[in-house]
Amino acid sequence: MKGLSGKRVLVTGGASGIGAAIVARFLEEGSRVAVIDRDAAANRALAQKHPSLTGVLDADVSEAAAVAGAFAKLDGLFGGLDVAINNAGISIRHDFIDITPEEWRRVMGVDLDGVFYVAQQAARRMLAGGGGVILNMGSTSGMNGYPRYADYDAAKAGVIELTRTMALELAPTIRVIAVCPGYVWTPMQEVEYTPEMKAAVDAKIPLRRHAHPEEIAALYAFLASDEAPYITGHPVIIDGGEIAGGLASR
Amino acid sequence: MKLKDRVAIITGATSGIGEATARLFAEEGAKVVVSGRDEARGRKVVETIAAAGGTAVFVRADVRRAADCERLVAETLETFGGRLDVLFNNAGVFHPHNAIDCTEEEWDATLDSSLKGAWLMSKYALPTMIAQRRGVIIHQASGWGIQGGDQAVAYCAAKGGVVVMTKAMAIDHGPQGIRVNCLCPGDVETPMLPADAAARGQAYADYMKGAANRPLGRVGTTIELARATLFLASDDSSFMTGAALVVDGGGIAD
Repeated sequence: MKGLSGKRVLVTGGASGIGAAIVARFLEEGSRVAVIDRDAAANRALAQKHPSLTGVLDADVSEAAAVAGAFAKLDGLFGGLDVAINNAGISIRHDFIDITPEEWRRVMGVDLDGVFYVAQQAARRMLAGGGGVILNMGSTSGMNGYPRYADYDAAKAGVIELTRTMALELAPTIRVIAVCPGYVWTPMQEVEYTPEMKAAVDAKIPLRRHAHPEEIAALYAFLASDEAPYITGHPVIIDGGEIAGGLASR
Repeated sequence: MKLKDRVAIITGATSGIGEATARLFAEEGAKVVVSGRDEARGRKVVETIAAAGGTAVFVRADVRRAADCERLVAETLETFGGRLDVLFNNAGVFHPHNAIDCTEEEWDATLDSSLKGAWLMSKYALPTMIAQRRGVIIHQASGWGIQGGDQAVAYCAAKGGVVVMTKAMAIDHGPQGIRVNCLCPGDVETPMLPADAAARGQAYADYMKGAANRPLGRVGTTIELARATLFLASDDSSFMTGAALVVDGGGIAD
């Protein structure tokens, strides 16, 4: 992709799953990449796997003070920021009727508060630097209902609207876009799904499979690059056609 | 090169976004069939591509006619060894009118070129793509296929139809290995803009000021739309189907 070489890129939740694929893709593109992740052990493994990483910072995006601390360190490494990718996220499979206030707060804290904290820190630096791109991890869950993920769905819907309003306020200096994947085969899915559940899900997707994390990473690379300078303020769906149809087509 | 040796048909490729996309696809290694109604302009696009070292042919077709669409696909297969990898249904016309002023001729011309034409081209292209178990279709929709626009009743109807037809085709043909997406531009610097300004009785400078009134503060360029089309045509978007990619400087975000 054009214009990614040398760009200073931050990826949250970059130590595993889709985040790790995003990190690998931007390194391949020649970007300088730093990661914020709460999993210190995974961070160390990531740093060993990719010696070219500029920095790996232990921080939980759901804590504003931790995010501010990580950005202070990031300033020392990058002295600014060109691309921020809000990838960190969690989900808990539970019925709406059983969600505890603590679980609700945890999902909102990582999936929505975390995007706000990181995006605000990133935007301040990008406005000062005269440009930038902020990419937020939405989800088809932010557009359709999914039983047993009420908190996650609500948080992702919040991310999509946060994205639109940020894009309006931060234009034309900063582009802000939400990426909305459907089912992606990641460690998060592997622990939650039996083979039978996976087959049942695949059958409902027009492309008849889950996404590979690398396919989501390719969309991030495109949107961050100089190949997409006129795109801002919208969710981009990448779901194998899953939500193209309503219930009748499933 | 992202489209090396892939065969691509682009309708409405004699000017504007279609022409820019034809040139970019050729640069990326595709064998391009440039199609449109204006033979002189089409031949010129082909010459430009050839001069830059690319491969392209012109096939005249009016996508409003089934026989033309069928012949366009047949000539493509004859010319390029029976393959067809990418179909970009870009052809479209715009007449600014509300429901009262729109004539039956304008309504039919708008719906037939953007919506019926995209369906007809798909109808004849799909059997080859399905036999290959691989193919990409990209329809030209519009931000005005998602939100309404002023004095554009037929255009909005056509483009809204294209957005939902994209989803329906994605559902039907995804299991056969075909991806179908659409592009939703805002105002783009093409010959369509001065024509629209004139039809609305506005000075072009005033019209362009209005068109630039969007978050990024400018209208789009044809190469920006061509690059988005390339992304949808290439393997970089291998999990995207049924999607509407909005490329409009944030125009419909508010």
